[in-house]
Amino acid sequence: MAQALATTLVVASLYALLGAGYVLVYRASRVLNLAQGDLLTLGGYFLFATAATFPDAPALALPLAAALSALTGVLVYVALMRPMAGHPVFAAVLVTVTLGILLRAAIVLVFTDRTRHPLQNLGLSNPPRPLAGGAVVSTFDLVMVGAAVALFAALFVFLKVSPLGIRMRAAGERALLASQRGINFHGVFALSWALAAFAGGLAGMIYSSNVRLEPSLGILGLRAFAVALVGGLDSLGGVVPAALLVAAVEVASVRWGNPLLSDVSPFLCLLAMLLIRPWGLFGTREELERV
Amino acid sequence: MPALGGGYFKTSYEADLALVDTRLRRLALTALVLVLLALPRFASGFVLDLVSQAAFAAIGALALNVLTGLAGQISLGHAGLLAAGAFTTAALVERGIVSPLVTLPATALVGGVLGLVVGIPSLRLKGLYLALGTLAMHHVVLYAAGEMQARAGGNTGFTIPAPRLGGLVFRGTVAWYYALVALAALVLVLVVNLQRSRAGRAWMAIRDRDVAAASVGIDVARYKLSAFVWSSVITALAGALFAYHRGFVSVEAFGFFVAVDYIAMIIIGGLGSALGAVLGAAFVTLLPYAIDALVAGVSPDAAQYYVFPAKFGAFGLLMALFLVFEPLGLVGIWRRVRNWVFLWPFRHRPLRASS
Amino acid sequence: MRGGILSAAAAALTLAAALAATAQTPEPYRIGMTVAITGPFSAGYAPTYEAYRTYFKRVNDAGGISGHPVVITYEDDRGEPQRAAAAAKKLTDGALLLINASISPTYKPVMAEAEATKTPLLFGGGVCPREAFPPAAPLIFCTTSFGSKWDSRMALSFIKEQSGGKKVKVGFAAQDIPLSRIELEFAEQHAKELGMDTIPVVVVPGAASDFTPFAQNLKDAGADWVFSWAPWGVEIGVFEALNRIGWKGHYILYGHQPAQDELMRLKAPNLHALTGNAMFIESLPIHAEITKLVQGQTNHPAHYMAEGWTSAMVLEAGLRKCGWPCTRDKLAQALSSVSVDTRGLRGGPIEMTADNHYRKATYYKVYRWDAGKNAIVSVGGWSKLDIK
Repeated sequence: MAQALATTLVVASLYALLGAGYVLVYRASRVLNLAQGDLLTLGGYFLFATAATFPDAPALALPLAAALSALTGVLVYVALMRPMAGHPVFAAVLVTVTLGILLRAAIVLVFTDRTRHPLQNLGLSNPPRPLAGGAVVSTFDLVMVGAAVALFAALFVFLKVSPLGIRMRAAGERALLASQRGINFHGVFALSWALAAFAGGLAGMIYSSNVRLEPSLGILGLRAFAVALVGGLDSLGGVVPAALLVAAVEVASVRWGNPLLSDVSPFLCLLAMLLIRPWGLFGTREELERV
Repeated sequence: MPALGGGYFKTSYEADLALVDTRLRRLALTALVLVLLALPRFASGFVLDLVSQAAFAAIGALALNVLTGLAGQISLGHAGLLAAGAFTTAALVERGIVSPLVTLPATALVGGVLGLVVGIPSLRLKGLYLALGTLAMHHVVLYAAGEMQARAGGNTGFTIPAPRLGGLVFRGTVAWYYALVALAALVLVLVVNLQRSRAGRAWMAIRDRDVAAASVGIDVARYKLSAFVWSSVITALAGALFAYHRGFVSVEAFGFFVAVDYIAMIIIGGLGSALGAVLGAAFVTLLPYAIDALVAGVSPDAAQYYVFPAKFGAFGLLMALFLVFEPLGLVGIWRRVRNWVFLWPFRHRPLRASS
Repeated sequence: MRGGILSAAAAALTLAAALAATAQTPEPYRIGMTVAITGPFSAGYAPTYEAYRTYFKRVNDAGGISGHPVVITYEDDRGEPQRAAAAAKKLTDGALLLINASISPTYKPVMAEAEATKTPLLFGGGVCPREAFPPAAPLIFCTTSFGSKWDSRMALSFIKEQSGGKKVKVGFAAQDIPLSRIELEFAEQHAKELGMDTIPVVVVPGAASDFTPFAQNLKDAGADWVFSWAPWGVEIGVFEALNRIGWKGHYILYGHQPAQDELMRLKAPNLHALTGNAMFIESLPIHAEITKLVQGQTNHPAHYMAEGWTSAMVLEAGLRKCGWPCTRDKLAQALSSVSVDTRGLRGGPIEMTADNHYRKATYYKVYRWDAGKNAIVSVGGWSKLDIK
């Protein structure tokens, strides 16, 4: 039981990091970034590249990879999402799908499709750590949970308290009004995308150190957007309970239910949510009519 | 009596309603039909297969266009509907029912029911939420199909025998070429007529502003559902066609990427236009082969390993370029070129009902 | 477009051959290969493509076979059945033989196409279909080192041997694909026949984000040994999860291409890799030869090439036996009596008969990490299994 709880927390942290990315992008561009999973993969490969270039120097490789991820987010906004402003939402979502395709093709071209393990080059190890109640997790499992907690705490403080964060919230809510108040919403949206890519990349860096790195990791992103939707696409706070819920359903179906359902369980949660309460647990109801 | 004056003067109501109204259009259409009929004479099996693939893609793209382009209901579940059609056929074949005369109507029925099931949430959901609901449907259908495939005792898929219609057996490239092109033409005529009918106008009204549509008395719920049902029936039938054509059905053939392909077809072709769906289908189907030929022409001995992800990436890049720079799609380009050719030195067509 | 160039080339070549016996450019042996070079499953099959390419480049540079080069046309099927079907249709046009190095869902359509055009079909990278086992279908051949039922029999006899007379409880980890599930259900049955306690097969979805709950199921059921036969990701994922939660049993899996690297990375004494290909750590002369040849030519390291290299050797032997001119029938017959010395890549020769298109006997070796020697060692030598 303790082990199931521990695993749920770890899986929920992964989903929460990805979900945060979805929500941040949605609040900025009103678009579901279907390439979030590929941004996770990209983050993992950035880490692999920096670790290979600077072996045994995790203090350099890790922040560098994170910075590269954030930079990618900015580039994506400037090159793809800004020109799509004013186009139908459908087209913008399609653009994110093509972004995913491009990212994947680029990764395979540069790194080939071999499974990689960045941890080897980093000079770190991933020993198991026993917890209370007989549960055992790996070190990077704990890092994943810690990163999720830290990111959400930081985002919370940033968005609630700091002037830039307040501007970001304003621009996300009513971009026209915000621009008339002098907020540079392009800069703010670029920052949203940078944060989203950073969150995804962070998740990718930790996942690839914990499990493995291969180009097809993007599929994790597909599960996580069910999480974002269940929590409410525009609610950052909703991501955490939604992630816990979806992860719990997944783990429970393996341990006590039908293991084969675990693959499709996020989508069942999504369907249930769409039928009962489409705007999610904590989303704004009017969001439904916006699109 | 064909329209005179370049299509601007009509002298009878029949002429106004005609699908193909000017002399030039009739000529072009006749020429196209003749070329398509005679193609097996002078083209290789490979080219015929390409055209067949494009025709098949056009059927699916036209169905998706009805739902998304005309009625404005975003659907990401197209692959799931194709899978439903294909697996219904497979299930019937497994039970010994092989004749298309039985499987096709059954598939249409399943498609219709599935369309209703997916359409009902559409009455509450819009835009992104609807898209996600359809995506969830796709995953559930694929899961069910995967379970069916796994339970069929070790098969990695179902083999479908060649369909027999009366005494005709559809086997081989040429037979399927004619069948698929004919069916694509049929679906095209069907969709164009739907577009011009009351339902089509209602759909377009719902797409543009459904609140306004409701306020002029259009039964939004009924027309939304009918859009889903029409689209799903045609798509499910396309799935059955896929099963017969390939002779083999397995769940791996219906991944999410297939849905992306079809959406790319209607977006690249031009949303809302039947011609756009056909053009987009042809473009997306032929693109990988065009890149192949391009690479083979430029550097035949290129590290083949890089060609393959390059093809994949080129597809994504082109799609992105179309989305960003040419939102009206190929149809938009076609109309601009055609207008320039016919109207030069004038620039703009005068207003008319359809162009 | 390609069709046009190809038919033009074929016409030109025929003309040249018909003109004079002193043809300047010798007509090649045409082979077609549909392989998953890209796509989510490519890691297991792209090395076959690279091995074939390198191998036959060397053959052609040395003058070809009977003076004729071997031209292989590769089609990337991405592991998708309908792409494989289209590729097979395209490739059988003028090809002597078709090779399939892709995942099992692509088999049926490719086999149907080969049947329809009477083209011999060689499986060079994916698990062998049962049509290659005796009694073999006339056109189906398979060189892949792993095969259904034989692997399980070998793994279970290894477990029985290692358990030294004690009664052990064996668990099975499958991926949610029919082939893996059926194989491990067979293994469970066979284990019972051998007198071992068994746990029902644990099925893992290939895209699981965390393998821990599945490992938990195995650990809670008290497995002493776990056998996994699935694509590499699930095989190693379940093992790593089991290790992480502190399981103290022994794990045996089929050693696909990444096995050597992973044994070295994980340094886990309880992980055993059962494989039909000799690992490159044995540094046999053939290993050095392959390493030198693929230097800088391939995206995958040399020790991934064993599977494809062996397959290419068998094809070369078949083509040499066929001679010139070679037809599909002649090639099928040649392959039905081929005997190839694998020079150490496998435990013994690959010999096919009219009835057995797999091999007369198959050989396995088990490798594990030895902490004391700080190296990968083999547990015992080659074990032979006669294929009947």
